[in-house]
Amino acid sequence: MPNPFAVRRNLRRLADEDLVELVYSGEARAFDVIYDRHSGPAFSLAFRICGSRARAEDVVQDAFLSIWRSGARYDRARGSVRSWVLGVVHNRAIDALRREAARGAGRTVEEKFADAVPSGEYTDTEVERRDDAERVRRALEALPGEQRKVIELAYFGGFTHQEITEMLSLPTGTVKGRMRLGLAKLRIELGDEANVVLP
Amino acid sequence: MSDECVGDAAAYVLGALEPHEAAAFELHLERCAVCREELDSLGGVVRALPMATRQYPAPKRLRRRVRRAVRHGSPALERSGPKGRLTAAFGGSLAALAAAAVAVVAIVGGSGLSGTVLPARVSGIAGSAQLKLVHGHGELVVKHLTAPGKDRVYEVWLQRGDAAPVPASVLFSVSTSGDADVGLPGDLSGVSSVLVTSEPLGGTSKPTRAPVIVARLT
Repeated sequence: MPNPFAVRRNLRRLADEDLVELVYSGEARAFDVIYDRHSGPAFSLAFRICGSRARAEDVVQDAFLSIWRSGARYDRARGSVRSWVLGVVHNRAIDALRREAARGAGRTVEEKFADAVPSGEYTDTEVERRDDAERVRRALEALPGEQRKVIELAYFGGFTHQEITEMLSLPTGTVKGRMRLGLAKLRIELGDEANVVLP
Repeated sequence: MSDECVGDAAAYVLGALEPHEAAAFELHLERCAVCREELDSLGGVVRALPMATRQYPAPKRLRRRVRRAVRHGSPALERSGPKGRLTAAFGGSLAALAAAAVAVVAIVGGSGLSGTVLPARVSGIAGSAQLKLVHGHGELVVKHLTAPGKDRVYEVWLQRGDAAPVPASVLFSVSTSGDADVGLPGDLSGVSSVLVTSEPLGGTSKPTRAPVIVARLT
């Protein structure tokens, strides 16, 4: 019988893409490794969108279990496993937000004001992830405020361009134009990192 | 870009088109190479956006929940569900807390580590509010609160000692029944009061009105 610790150690050496194949074949320990690698960014994104730790936990749980159970396949041609996982989390978080809005609950637009992670807990991976995050955050913050706002309202707030148009009392064309300009500037600012920032 | 192009690639990739608009744009993509190229180009940027959020570790209890569901194949997901516990802690007396400054700390779950609920004072409007603290993080729960009004929004502020309140960068409105469950990001260490004011839509950098909700942490 294989040593479970050795199996786990070997799994941790595998690339995400290989782990995903094992996940689809029902290997729970491969799923654990995928979860451990990506649950931090997943939770951070869900928390940013939902504005509540409890709701963020539910969203992340739903997203990872859908990855475990669903027949939807990861497509290497469409980016890294991390961007795929975060895409699933994003969709679920926005769906949750819109369901709540449909039920009449409040919509929250927020940003973080403090870091909750004690620095002593950072691993090398955490530090690298935080460096990536800092780079993208700086690029976003460098955008003109009106462009950043429409991008944040759409991506993190789940608002449609029509809702943003009403919210900001702007013509639809202006809102779409700011989205386009803002993303184009981010593309230039991040350069190739826009495609590789999520290893 | 073809004659039909309306510059929707950015809105599409951000998920900001209405469903019928998204469907129309997807049809358009089939015959417009320029828009396809723009979409590819902007897609990479949007895939990077999640990393623009502040990074937190996922809670350990979440890992346990997910592992348990995977191992046991539970179709019914566990929920974090703090609301039930809050309601149980206060029984049917939420309304009685509405406008009163009740300096009572209720410990939820019998342990100070599992959660602390601070009733908050609501002034000048109807409704009640509580601040729930778990491991230094806060969640403001309001019930039956008067809506902020047309073109206005509630804004949350954090006050440390006698310093001027600073924006928590959290704006919220309430449901038709006046309820909202508002997460306060980050650690509340050092914060003495959480305040809520009614502000113009979009929020402000300084409070322009007296607070309608005050929750004291110290």
